[in-house]
Amino acid sequence: MLKGIGLTKSFGGLRAVSSLDFEIRAGEIVGLIGPNGSGKTTLFNLISGFYRPDAGRLFFKGKEITGKPPYVIARLGIGRTFQIVRPLPDFTLIENVRIAVLYGRSGTRDMREATERAEEILQVSGLAEKRHRYPLNLALEDRKRLEIARALAIDPDLLLLDEVFAGLNEKEIEKAVTFTFEIKRRFNLTIFMVEHVMKAIMGTCDRIIVLHHGAKIAEGLPEEVARHPDVVSAYLGKGYVARL
Amino acid sequence: MKPYLKSLLFLAVAGAFALPWLSPPVYFVSLLFVVFMYVVLAESWVLIGGFAGYLSFGHGAFLGIGAYTTALLMNHFHLSPLYVLVSALPAGAAAACVAAVIGYPALRLRGPYFALITLCFAFVMELAVKNLDFLGGPEGLWLKAMGIEVGLARGIFFEVMLVLMLVTVLVVRRVESSRFGAGLKAIKEDEEVAQTLCVDTPRVKLSAFILSAFFPGVAGGLYAYYLSYIHPETVFNIDISILIVLMALFGGGSSYVGPIVGAISLSLVNELLSAFLKAEYARVIYGLLFVVLILYLPDGVISFFRGRKSGAG
Repeated sequence: MLKGIGLTKSFGGLRAVSSLDFEIRAGEIVGLIGPNGSGKTTLFNLISGFYRPDAGRLFFKGKEITGKPPYVIARLGIGRTFQIVRPLPDFTLIENVRIAVLYGRSGTRDMREATERAEEILQVSGLAEKRHRYPLNLALEDRKRLEIARALAIDPDLLLLDEVFAGLNEKEIEKAVTFTFEIKRRFNLTIFMVEHVMKAIMGTCDRIIVLHHGAKIAEGLPEEVARHPDVVSAYLGKGYVARL
Repeated sequence: MKPYLKSLLFLAVAGAFALPWLSPPVYFVSLLFVVFMYVVLAESWVLIGGFAGYLSFGHGAFLGIGAYTTALLMNHFHLSPLYVLVSALPAGAAAACVAAVIGYPALRLRGPYFALITLCFAFVMELAVKNLDFLGGPEGLWLKAMGIEVGLARGIFFEVMLVLMLVTVLVVRRVESSRFGAGLKAIKEDEEVAQTLCVDTPRVKLSAFILSAFFPGVAGGLYAYYLSYIHPETVFNIDISILIVLMALFGGGSSYVGPIVGAISLSLVNELLSAFLKAEYARVIYGLLFVVLILYLPDGVISFFRGRKSGAG
Protein backbone atom coordinates (compact mmCIF):
# COMPACT_ATOMS: atom_id res chain seq x y z
CA MET A 1 0.00 0.00 0.00
CA LEU A 2 2.83 2.37 0.91
CA LYS A 3 6.29 1.89 -0.45
CA GLY A 4 9.47 3.90 -0.02
CA ILE A 5 12.56 3.35 -2.13
CA GLY A 6 15.94 4.81 -1.22
CA LEU A 7 14.47 7.66 0.82
CA THR A 8 17.06 10.16 1.98
CA LYS A 9 16.66 13.42 3.85
CA SER A 10 19.46 15.52 5.33
CA PHE A 11 19.40 18.60 7.50
CA GLY A 12 22.71 20.39 7.07
CA GLY A 13 25.33 17.70 7.64
CA LEU A 14 22.94 15.36 9.43
CA ARG A 15 21.40 12.49 7.53
CA ALA A 16 18.08 12.13 9.30
CA VAL A 17 16.86 9.42 6.94
CA SER A 18 19.35 7.58 4.82
CA SER A 19 18.55 5.41 1.73
CA LEU A 20 15.61 3.80 3.43
CA ASP A 21 13.52 1.10 1.75
CA PHE A 22 10.29 0.01 3.38
CA GLU A 23 6.84 -1.25 2.59
CA ILE A 24 3.52 -1.21 4.43
CA ARG A 25 0.95 -3.71 3.18
CA ALA A 26 -2.80 -3.19 3.27
CA GLY A 27 -4.42 -4.21 6.55
CA GLU A 28 -1.23 -4.29 8.60
CA ILE A 29 -0.32 -2.53 11.80
CA VAL A 30 3.36 -1.72 11.47
CA GLY A 31 5.41 -0.21 14.27
CA LEU A 32 8.34 2.13 13.73
CA ILE A 33 10.78 2.24 16.60
CA GLY A 34 14.28 3.51 17.23
CA PRO A 35 16.21 5.60 19.73
CA ASN A 36 15.63 9.35 19.93
CA GLY A 37 16.84 11.16 16.84
CA SER A 38 16.81 8.03 14.70
CA GLY A 39 14.62 9.65 12.03
CA LYS A 40 11.15 8.33 12.85
CA THR A 41 9.31 11.64 12.80
CA THR A 42 11.35 12.77 9.79
CA LEU A 43 10.12 9.68 7.94
CA PHE A 44 6.51 10.57 8.86
CA ASN A 45 7.07 14.11 7.64
CA LEU A 46 8.41 12.74 4.36
CA ILE A 47 5.43 10.43 3.89
CA SER A 48 2.86 13.12 4.73
CA GLY A 49 4.51 15.66 2.44
CA PHE A 50 5.90 18.15 4.95
CA TYR A 51 9.43 17.40 3.78
CA ARG A 52 10.53 16.72 0.26
CA PRO A 53 13.11 13.88 0.13
CA ASP A 54 16.60 14.71 -1.15
CA ALA A 55 16.59 11.36 -2.93
CA GLY A 56 14.32 8.36 -3.27
CA ARG A 57 10.68 7.87 -4.14
CA LEU A 58 7.42 7.20 -2.36
CA PHE A 59 4.45 5.28 -3.73
CA PHE A 60 0.98 5.03 -2.26
CA LYS A 61 -1.47 2.52 -3.74
CA GLY A 62 0.85 2.28 -6.74
CA LYS A 63 0.83 6.02 -7.37
CA GLU A 64 3.93 8.16 -6.94
CA ILE A 65 3.53 10.74 -4.17
CA THR A 66 7.12 11.97 -3.90
CA GLY A 67 7.19 15.73 -3.32
CA LYS A 68 3.41 16.16 -3.39
CA PRO A 69 2.02 18.79 -0.98
CA PRO A 70 0.44 17.57 2.29
CA TYR A 71 -3.19 18.24 1.26
CA VAL A 72 -2.80 16.17 -1.91
CA ILE A 73 -1.33 13.28 0.07
CA ALA A 74 -4.09 13.60 2.67
CA ARG A 75 -6.72 13.53 -0.08
CA LEU A 76 -5.19 10.35 -1.50
CA GLY A 77 -5.93 8.75 1.87
CA ILE A 78 -3.03 9.20 4.28
CA GLY A 79 -4.08 10.66 7.62
CA ARG A 80 -1.64 11.61 10.35
CA THR A 81 -1.38 12.76 13.94
CA PHE A 82 1.32 14.94 15.46
CA GLN A 83 3.65 13.81 18.21
CA ILE A 84 3.02 17.03 20.09
CA VAL A 85 -0.75 17.38 19.72
CA ARG A 86 -1.84 20.26 17.52
CA PRO A 87 -5.57 20.89 17.94
CA LEU A 88 -7.03 24.04 16.39
CA PRO A 89 -7.38 25.94 19.67
CA ASP A 90 -10.26 28.28 18.80
CA PHE A 91 -12.31 25.43 17.29
CA THR A 92 -14.52 23.30 19.54
CA LEU A 93 -13.96 19.56 19.36
CA ILE A 94 -16.75 19.15 16.88
CA GLU A 95 -15.41 21.99 14.74
CA ASN A 96 -11.96 20.42 14.84
CA VAL A 97 -13.35 17.18 13.45
CA ARG A 98 -15.89 18.77 11.11
CA ILE A 99 -13.26 20.71 9.17
CA ALA A 100 -11.64 17.38 8.29
CA VAL A 101 -15.01 15.94 7.21
CA LEU A 102 -15.79 19.01 5.06
CA TYR A 103 -12.48 18.95 3.20
CA GLY A 104 -11.78 15.25 3.46
CA ARG A 105 -12.61 12.30 1.25
CA SER A 106 -16.16 11.65 2.36
CA GLY A 107 -17.40 14.18 -0.20
CA THR A 108 -19.66 15.92 2.31
CA ARG A 109 -19.85 19.63 1.60
CA ASP A 110 -23.01 20.29 3.54
CA MET A 111 -22.53 21.75 7.03
CA ARG A 112 -25.30 19.83 8.73
CA GLU A 113 -24.32 16.48 7.25
CA ALA A 114 -20.69 17.14 8.17
CA THR A 115 -21.72 17.96 11.74
CA GLU A 116 -23.54 14.65 12.02
CA ARG A 117 -20.58 12.74 10.63
CA ALA A 118 -18.24 14.55 13.04
CA GLU A 119 -20.53 13.65 15.93
CA GLU A 120 -20.37 9.98 14.98
CA ILE A 121 -16.59 10.06 14.91
CA LEU A 122 -16.42 11.81 18.28
CA GLN A 123 -18.80 9.16 19.60
CA VAL A 124 -16.47 6.38 18.48
CA SER A 125 -13.54 8.26 20.01
CA GLY A 126 -15.30 8.62 23.35
CA LEU A 127 -15.41 12.40 23.13
CA ALA A 128 -19.10 12.87 22.37
CA GLU A 129 -20.03 14.56 25.66
CA LYS A 130 -17.17 17.02 25.32
CA ARG A 131 -17.94 17.99 21.73
CA HIS A 132 -18.72 21.64 22.49
CA ARG A 133 -15.63 22.18 24.61
CA TYR A 134 -12.35 23.69 23.48
CA PRO A 135 -9.29 21.43 23.15
CA LEU A 136 -7.13 23.42 25.56
CA ASN A 137 -9.54 22.49 28.35
CA LEU A 138 -8.98 18.76 27.83
CA ALA A 139 -6.67 16.29 29.53
CA LEU A 140 -3.78 14.95 27.44
CA GLU A 141 -5.48 11.58 26.91
CA ASP A 142 -8.49 13.31 25.34
CA ARG A 143 -6.34 15.62 23.25
CA LYS A 144 -4.59 12.55 21.83
CA ARG A 145 -7.98 11.03 21.05
CA LEU A 146 -9.00 14.25 19.33
CA GLU A 147 -5.83 14.09 17.26
CA ILE A 148 -6.83 10.59 16.10
CA ALA A 149 -10.51 11.48 15.64
CA ARG A 150 -9.55 14.36 13.37
CA ALA A 151 -7.26 12.18 11.28
CA LEU A 152 -10.06 9.60 10.99
CA ALA A 153 -12.45 12.29 9.80
CA ILE A 154 -10.67 12.70 6.48
CA ASP A 155 -11.62 9.04 5.88
CA PRO A 156 -8.07 7.72 5.38
CA ASP A 157 -6.91 4.31 4.19
CA LEU A 158 -3.57 4.61 5.93
CA LEU A 159 -3.18 6.23 9.33
CA LEU A 160 0.18 7.47 10.60
CA LEU A 161 0.20 7.61 14.40
CA ASP A 162 3.09 9.55 15.91
CA GLU A 163 3.57 8.51 19.54
CA VAL A 164 -0.08 8.58 20.52
CA PHE A 165 0.66 6.49 23.62
CA ALA A 166 3.44 8.70 24.95
CA GLY A 167 2.67 10.44 28.21
CA LEU A 168 -0.27 8.17 29.05
CA ASN A 169 -0.43 6.04 32.21
CA GLU A 170 -0.71 2.25 32.25
CA LYS A 171 -4.49 2.16 32.28
CA GLU A 172 -4.82 4.80 29.57
CA ILE A 173 -2.40 2.84 27.40
CA GLU A 174 -4.53 -0.28 27.70
CA LYS A 175 -7.59 1.69 26.64
CA ALA A 176 -5.63 3.27 23.78
CA VAL A 177 -4.51 -0.13 22.50
CA THR A 178 -8.11 -1.36 22.46
CA PHE A 179 -9.09 1.87 20.74
CA THR A 180 -6.43 1.34 18.06
CA PHE A 181 -7.79 -2.12 17.23
CA GLU A 182 -11.33 -0.80 17.27
CA ILE A 183 -10.72 2.02 14.77
CA LYS A 184 -8.65 -0.27 12.57
CA ARG A 185 -11.57 -2.64 12.25
CA ARG A 186 -14.31 -0.06 12.04
CA PHE A 187 -12.62 2.22 9.52
CA ASN A 188 -10.85 -0.57 7.66
CA LEU A 189 -7.43 0.97 8.18
CA THR A 190 -3.82 0.19 7.67
CA ILE A 191 -1.76 1.67 10.51
CA PHE A 192 1.85 2.79 10.63
CA MET A 193 2.84 3.94 14.10
CA VAL A 194 5.84 5.46 15.80
CA GLU A 195 5.97 4.37 19.39
CA HIS A 196 8.28 4.31 22.39
CA VAL A 197 6.02 2.46 24.77
CA MET A 198 7.22 -1.11 24.25
CA LYS A 199 4.19 -2.71 25.82
CA ALA A 200 1.90 -0.95 23.35
CA ILE A 201 4.11 -1.86 20.41
CA MET A 202 4.41 -5.53 21.30
CA GLY A 203 0.68 -5.83 21.86
CA THR A 204 -0.52 -4.13 18.68
CA CYS A 205 1.92 -4.49 15.81
CA ASP A 206 2.04 -7.24 13.22
CA ARG A 207 5.49 -6.15 12.19
CA ILE A 208 8.15 -3.73 13.42
CA ILE A 209 10.72 -1.63 11.58
CA VAL A 210 13.70 -0.39 13.58
CA LEU A 211 15.55 2.79 12.62
CA HIS A 212 18.95 3.86 13.87
CA HIS A 213 20.73 6.97 12.61
CA GLY A 214 18.20 7.16 9.79
CA ALA A 215 18.83 3.64 8.48
CA LYS A 216 16.82 0.46 8.90
CA ILE A 217 18.68 -1.93 11.17
CA ALA A 218 16.01 -4.56 11.67
CA GLU A 219 12.54 -5.59 10.56
CA GLY A 220 10.24 -8.43 11.53
CA LEU A 221 7.82 -9.83 14.08
CA PRO A 222 7.79 -8.01 17.44
CA GLU A 223 9.49 -10.85 19.35
CA GLU A 224 12.19 -11.29 16.71
CA VAL A 225 12.99 -7.61 16.64
CA ALA A 226 13.15 -7.33 20.41
CA ARG A 227 15.87 -10.01 20.50
CA HIS A 228 17.78 -8.77 17.47
CA PRO A 229 21.38 -8.00 18.53
CA ASP A 230 21.60 -4.77 16.49
CA VAL A 231 18.42 -3.48 18.08
CA VAL A 232 19.57 -4.26 21.61
CA SER A 233 22.89 -2.63 20.85
CA ALA A 234 21.23 0.49 19.42
CA TYR A 235 19.06 0.93 22.48
CA LEU A 236 21.29 -0.28 25.29
CA GLY A 237 24.84 -0.28 23.96
CA LYS A 238 27.05 -3.10 22.63
CA GLY A 239 27.83 -4.49 26.09
CA TYR A 240 24.32 -5.79 26.50
CA VAL A 241 24.31 -7.89 23.35
CA ALA A 242 26.65 -10.51 24.90
CA ARG A 243 24.17 -11.17 27.69
CA LEU A 244 21.42 -12.38 25.37
CA MET B 1 -31.07 37.32 16.33
CA LYS B 2 -33.75 38.62 18.67
CA PRO B 3 -36.98 39.81 16.95
CA TYR B 4 -36.76 43.39 18.23
CA LEU B 5 -33.17 43.64 16.95
CA LYS B 6 -34.33 42.34 13.61
CA SER B 7 -37.06 44.96 13.28
CA LEU B 8 -34.66 47.65 14.45
CA LEU B 9 -32.19 46.61 11.81
CA PHE B 10 -34.90 46.57 9.17
CA LEU B 11 -35.97 50.09 10.15
CA ALA B 12 -32.37 51.33 10.01
CA VAL B 13 -31.91 49.91 6.51
CA ALA B 14 -35.25 51.28 5.29
CA GLY B 15 -34.39 54.66 6.82
CA ALA B 16 -31.02 54.65 5.10
CA PHE B 17 -32.68 53.95 1.74
CA ALA B 18 -35.17 56.79 2.25
CA LEU B 19 -32.63 59.27 3.58
CA PRO B 20 -31.30 61.02 0.44
CA TRP B 21 -34.85 61.87 -0.71
CA LEU B 22 -35.78 63.63 2.54
CA SER B 23 -33.54 66.63 1.73
CA PRO B 24 -31.03 66.06 4.53
CA PRO B 25 -27.86 68.17 4.91
CA VAL B 26 -25.41 67.38 2.10
CA TYR B 27 -22.61 66.87 4.62
CA PHE B 28 -24.57 64.13 6.30
CA VAL B 29 -25.20 62.21 3.08
CA SER B 30 -21.53 62.47 2.07
CA LEU B 31 -20.41 61.28 5.46
CA LEU B 32 -22.70 58.25 5.32
CA PHE B 33 -21.59 57.48 1.76
CA VAL B 34 -17.98 57.29 2.95
CA VAL B 35 -18.97 55.26 6.02
CA PHE B 36 -20.74 52.74 3.78
CA MET B 37 -17.66 52.57 1.61
CA TYR B 38 -15.46 51.84 4.61
CA VAL B 39 -17.84 49.13 5.76
CA VAL B 40 -17.42 47.53 2.31
CA LEU B 41 -13.63 47.83 2.56
CA ALA B 42 -13.29 46.56 6.13
CA GLU B 43 -15.84 43.80 5.60
CA SER B 44 -14.02 42.50 2.52
CA TRP B 45 -10.70 42.74 4.31
CA VAL B 46 -11.98 40.44 7.05
CA LEU B 47 -12.19 37.53 4.56
CA ILE B 48 -8.42 37.34 4.23
CA GLY B 49 -7.20 39.35 7.23
CA GLY B 50 -9.72 38.32 9.85
CA PHE B 51 -10.75 34.78 8.91
CA ALA B 52 -7.50 33.50 7.39
CA GLY B 53 -5.21 35.70 9.50
CA TYR B 54 -3.27 37.05 6.52
CA LEU B 55 -3.03 40.75 7.38
CA SER B 56 -3.22 42.60 4.09
CA PHE B 57 -1.88 46.13 4.53
CA GLY B 58 -2.46 46.99 0.89
CA HIS B 59 -6.20 46.62 0.51
CA GLY B 60 -6.66 50.30 -0.26
CA ALA B 61 -4.94 49.64 -3.58
CA PHE B 62 -7.95 47.64 -4.76
CA LEU B 63 -10.14 50.69 -4.21
CA GLY B 64 -7.72 52.68 -6.36
CA ILE B 65 -7.62 50.04 -9.06
CA GLY B 66 -11.42 50.05 -9.18
CA ALA B 67 -11.52 53.84 -9.34
CA TYR B 68 -9.03 54.11 -12.18
CA THR B 69 -10.58 51.22 -14.11
CA THR B 70 -13.94 52.98 -14.07
CA ALA B 71 -12.41 56.34 -14.99
CA LEU B 72 -10.61 54.81 -17.96
CA LEU B 73 -13.66 52.90 -19.15
CA MET B 74 -15.84 56.00 -18.93
CA ASN B 75 -13.41 58.35 -20.62
CA HIS B 76 -12.10 55.99 -23.29
CA PHE B 77 -15.32 54.50 -24.47
CA HIS B 78 -17.33 57.71 -23.97
CA LEU B 79 -19.99 55.77 -22.17
CA SER B 80 -23.12 57.37 -20.88
CA PRO B 81 -22.43 58.46 -17.31
CA LEU B 82 -25.29 56.37 -15.94
CA TYR B 83 -23.38 53.38 -17.23
CA VAL B 84 -21.12 53.83 -14.20
CA LEU B 85 -23.55 51.70 -12.26
CA VAL B 86 -22.67 48.78 -14.53
CA SER B 87 -19.04 49.70 -15.12
CA ALA B 88 -18.34 49.33 -11.42
CA LEU B 89 -18.54 45.57 -12.01
CA PRO B 90 -15.59 45.48 -14.43
CA ALA B 91 -13.81 47.65 -11.86
CA GLY B 92 -14.35 44.90 -9.32
CA ALA B 93 -13.21 42.30 -11.84
CA ALA B 94 -10.03 44.28 -12.52
CA ALA B 95 -9.24 44.47 -8.82
CA ALA B 96 -9.90 40.74 -8.50
CA CYS B 97 -7.54 39.97 -11.40
CA VAL B 98 -4.77 42.05 -9.86
CA ALA B 99 -5.40 40.27 -6.56
CA ALA B 100 -4.96 36.92 -8.30
CA VAL B 101 -1.62 37.99 -9.79
CA ILE B 102 -0.32 39.54 -6.56
CA GLY B 103 -1.82 36.94 -4.26
CA TYR B 104 -0.38 33.90 -6.01
CA PRO B 105 3.21 34.61 -4.93
CA ALA B 106 2.45 36.81 -1.90
CA LEU B 107 0.25 34.25 -0.13
CA ARG B 108 3.22 31.88 0.11
CA LEU B 109 4.63 34.28 2.67
CA ARG B 110 3.30 34.26 6.18
CA GLY B 111 2.89 36.64 9.09
CA PRO B 112 4.80 39.92 8.89
CA TYR B 113 6.22 39.10 5.46
CA PHE B 114 2.80 38.96 3.89
CA ALA B 115 1.83 42.20 5.64
CA LEU B 116 4.99 43.87 4.32
CA ILE B 117 4.63 42.70 0.75
CA THR B 118 1.03 43.89 0.56
CA LEU B 119 2.07 47.24 2.02
CA CYS B 120 4.80 47.49 -0.64
CA PHE B 121 2.24 46.60 -3.28
CA ALA B 122 0.07 49.55 -2.20
CA PHE B 123 3.09 51.91 -2.28
CA VAL B 124 4.16 50.72 -5.70
CA MET B 125 0.64 51.14 -7.09
CA GLU B 126 0.48 54.74 -5.89
CA LEU B 127 3.91 55.52 -7.36
CA ALA B 128 3.16 53.78 -10.63
CA VAL B 129 -0.10 55.62 -11.18
CA LYS B 130 1.55 58.93 -10.33
CA ASN B 131 4.13 58.30 -13.05
CA LEU B 132 2.00 56.87 -15.84
CA ASP B 133 0.81 59.54 -18.23
CA PHE B 134 -2.14 57.66 -19.65
CA LEU B 135 -3.51 57.47 -16.11
CA GLY B 136 -3.21 61.22 -15.72
CA GLY B 137 0.03 60.94 -13.74
CA PRO B 138 0.34 63.40 -10.86
CA GLU B 139 -2.52 65.49 -12.30
CA GLY B 140 -5.14 62.86 -11.70
CA LEU B 141 -8.15 62.19 -13.91
CA TRP B 142 -11.45 63.98 -14.42
CA LEU B 143 -14.54 61.97 -15.08
CA LYS B 144 -17.27 63.21 -17.37
CA ALA B 145 -20.11 64.97 -15.59
CA MET B 146 -23.25 63.02 -15.00
CA GLY B 147 -25.50 65.28 -17.01
CA ILE B 148 -28.14 65.07 -14.34
CA GLU B 149 -28.91 67.25 -11.39
CA VAL B 150 -26.25 67.03 -8.63
CA GLY B 151 -28.63 66.16 -5.80
CA LEU B 152 -30.20 63.35 -7.81
CA ALA B 153 -26.78 61.98 -8.77
CA ARG B 154 -25.68 62.05 -5.14
CA GLY B 155 -28.85 60.24 -4.14
CA ILE B 156 -28.36 57.53 -6.75
CA PHE B 157 -24.76 56.87 -5.71
CA PHE B 158 -25.76 56.81 -2.09
CA GLU B 159 -28.33 54.11 -2.80
CA VAL B 160 -25.95 52.06 -4.92
CA MET B 161 -23.22 52.18 -2.26
CA LEU B 162 -25.79 51.17 0.33
CA VAL B 163 -26.76 48.15 -1.78
CA LEU B 164 -23.10 47.25 -2.30
CA MET B 165 -22.57 47.43 1.45
CA LEU B 166 -25.52 45.15 2.15
CA VAL B 167 -24.39 42.66 -0.48
CA THR B 168 -20.85 42.62 0.90
CA VAL B 169 -22.06 42.09 4.46
CA LEU B 170 -24.38 39.28 3.39
CA VAL B 171 -21.67 37.55 1.37
CA VAL B 172 -19.16 37.71 4.22
CA ARG B 173 -21.83 36.51 6.64
CA ARG B 174 -22.55 33.58 4.36
CA VAL B 175 -18.85 32.75 4.02
CA GLU B 176 -18.40 32.85 7.78
CA SER B 177 -20.73 29.92 8.38
CA SER B 178 -19.71 27.93 5.29
CA ARG B 179 -17.16 25.27 4.46
CA PHE B 180 -15.03 27.97 2.80
CA GLY B 181 -15.08 30.05 5.99
CA ALA B 182 -14.19 27.04 8.12
CA GLY B 183 -11.21 26.39 5.85
CA LEU B 184 -10.04 29.99 6.19
CA LYS B 185 -10.31 29.90 9.96
CA ALA B 186 -8.43 26.60 10.09
CA ILE B 187 -5.64 28.25 8.10
CA LYS B 188 -5.48 31.01 10.68
CA GLU B 189 -5.33 28.51 13.53
CA ASP B 190 -2.63 26.23 12.10
CA GLU B 191 -1.94 26.13 8.38
CA GLU B 192 0.11 22.90 8.46
CA VAL B 193 -2.56 21.03 10.37
CA ALA B 194 -5.17 22.37 7.95
CA GLN B 195 -3.17 20.78 5.13
CA THR B 196 -3.11 17.38 6.81
CA LEU B 197 -6.91 17.70 7.05
CA CYS B 198 -7.11 17.99 3.24
CA VAL B 199 -7.56 21.77 3.12
CA ASP B 200 -6.05 22.93 -0.17
CA THR B 201 -4.62 25.99 1.55
CA PRO B 202 -3.10 27.79 -1.47
CA ARG B 203 -6.40 27.67 -3.35
CA VAL B 204 -8.55 28.58 -0.36
CA LYS B 205 -6.35 31.56 0.52
CA LEU B 206 -6.19 32.81 -3.05
CA SER B 207 -9.98 32.57 -3.46
CA ALA B 208 -10.45 34.58 -0.29
CA PHE B 209 -7.93 37.20 -1.42
CA ILE B 210 -9.59 37.54 -4.83
CA LEU B 211 -13.06 37.85 -3.32
CA SER B 212 -11.78 40.35 -0.77
CA ALA B 213 -10.42 42.51 -3.62
CA PHE B 214 -13.57 42.37 -5.72
CA PHE B 215 -15.86 44.42 -3.46
CA PRO B 216 -13.29 47.20 -2.83
CA GLY B 217 -12.83 47.36 -6.61
CA VAL B 218 -16.55 47.91 -7.16
CA ALA B 219 -16.59 50.46 -4.34
CA GLY B 220 -13.68 52.25 -6.02
CA GLY B 221 -15.66 52.47 -9.24
CA LEU B 222 -18.55 54.15 -7.45
CA TYR B 223 -16.25 56.37 -5.42
CA ALA B 224 -14.48 57.63 -8.55
CA TYR B 225 -17.69 58.86 -10.06
CA TYR B 226 -18.92 60.21 -6.80
CA LEU B 227 -15.75 62.34 -6.51
CA SER B 228 -15.76 63.01 -10.28
CA TYR B 229 -12.04 63.74 -9.98
CA ILE B 230 -9.56 61.09 -8.88
CA HIS B 231 -5.95 61.51 -7.91
CA PRO B 232 -3.36 58.93 -6.76
CA GLU B 233 -3.30 60.59 -3.38
CA THR B 234 -7.03 60.35 -2.86
CA VAL B 235 -7.73 56.79 -4.02
CA PHE B 236 -4.29 55.15 -3.67
CA ASN B 237 -3.42 56.76 -0.37
CA ILE B 238 -1.65 54.34 1.96
CA ASP B 239 -3.68 55.80 4.85
CA ILE B 240 -6.77 54.09 3.40
CA SER B 241 -5.07 50.71 3.54
CA ILE B 242 -4.08 51.20 7.15
CA LEU B 243 -7.46 52.58 8.13
CA ILE B 244 -9.15 49.45 6.72
CA VAL B 245 -7.03 47.23 8.97
CA LEU B 246 -7.66 49.46 11.98
CA MET B 247 -11.41 49.48 11.44
CA ALA B 248 -11.67 45.73 10.98
CA LEU B 249 -9.52 44.95 14.00
CA PHE B 250 -11.14 47.65 16.09
CA GLY B 251 -14.52 46.02 15.59
CA GLY B 252 -13.16 42.50 15.65
CA GLY B 253 -11.80 40.44 12.75
CA SER B 254 -13.29 37.07 13.62
CA SER B 255 -16.86 37.84 12.58
CA TYR B 256 -18.73 39.75 9.90
CA VAL B 257 -20.18 42.00 12.62
CA GLY B 258 -16.79 43.38 13.65
CA PRO B 259 -15.98 45.47 10.58
CA ILE B 260 -19.46 47.02 10.55
CA VAL B 261 -19.03 48.12 14.15
CA GLY B 262 -15.43 49.17 13.52
CA ALA B 263 -16.03 51.15 10.32
CA ILE B 264 -19.06 52.99 11.66
CA SER B 265 -17.67 53.77 15.10
CA LEU B 266 -14.22 54.83 13.92
CA SER B 267 -15.67 57.07 11.20
CA LEU B 268 -18.00 58.74 13.66
CA VAL B 269 -15.36 59.09 16.37
CA ASN B 270 -13.06 60.65 13.82
CA GLU B 271 -15.74 63.09 12.68
CA LEU B 272 -16.76 64.04 16.21
CA LEU B 273 -13.20 64.54 17.35
CA SER B 274 -12.40 66.75 14.38
CA ALA B 275 -15.61 68.72 14.90
CA PHE B 276 -14.89 69.56 18.52
CA LEU B 277 -11.11 69.57 18.69
CA LYS B 278 -8.25 70.87 16.62
CA ALA B 279 -7.26 68.33 13.97
CA GLU B 280 -3.88 67.61 15.59
CA TYR B 281 -5.41 66.77 18.96
CA ALA B 282 -8.07 64.72 17.29
CA ARG B 283 -5.39 62.58 15.64
CA VAL B 284 -3.56 61.99 18.91
CA ILE B 285 -6.71 60.97 20.78
CA TYR B 286 -7.71 58.74 17.89
CA GLY B 287 -4.35 57.02 18.06
CA LEU B 288 -4.45 56.62 21.84
CA LEU B 289 -7.93 55.16 21.68
CA PHE B 290 -6.66 52.55 19.33
CA VAL B 291 -3.66 51.62 21.47
CA VAL B 292 -5.91 51.17 24.50
CA LEU B 293 -8.27 48.97 22.53
CA ILE B 294 -5.59 46.71 21.12
CA LEU B 295 -4.16 46.29 24.62
CA TYR B 296 -7.40 45.51 26.40
CA LEU B 297 -9.67 44.09 23.72
CA PRO B 298 -7.35 42.42 21.21
CA ASP B 299 -10.29 40.58 19.65
CA GLY B 300 -12.11 43.84 18.94
CA VAL B 301 -15.04 45.69 20.43
CA ILE B 302 -17.49 42.88 19.64
CA SER B 303 -15.63 40.46 21.91
CA PHE B 304 -16.68 42.70 24.79
CA PHE B 305 -20.31 41.81 24.14
CA ARG B 306 -19.74 38.14 23.46
CA GLY B 307 -17.36 37.10 26.19
CA ARG B 308 -14.27 35.08 25.42
CA LYS B 309 -14.73 31.69 23.80
CA SER B 310 -11.67 29.73 24.76
CA GLY B 311 -10.89 29.62 28.45
CA ALA B 312 -7.29 29.14 29.52
CA GLY B 313 -5.87 25.60 29.91
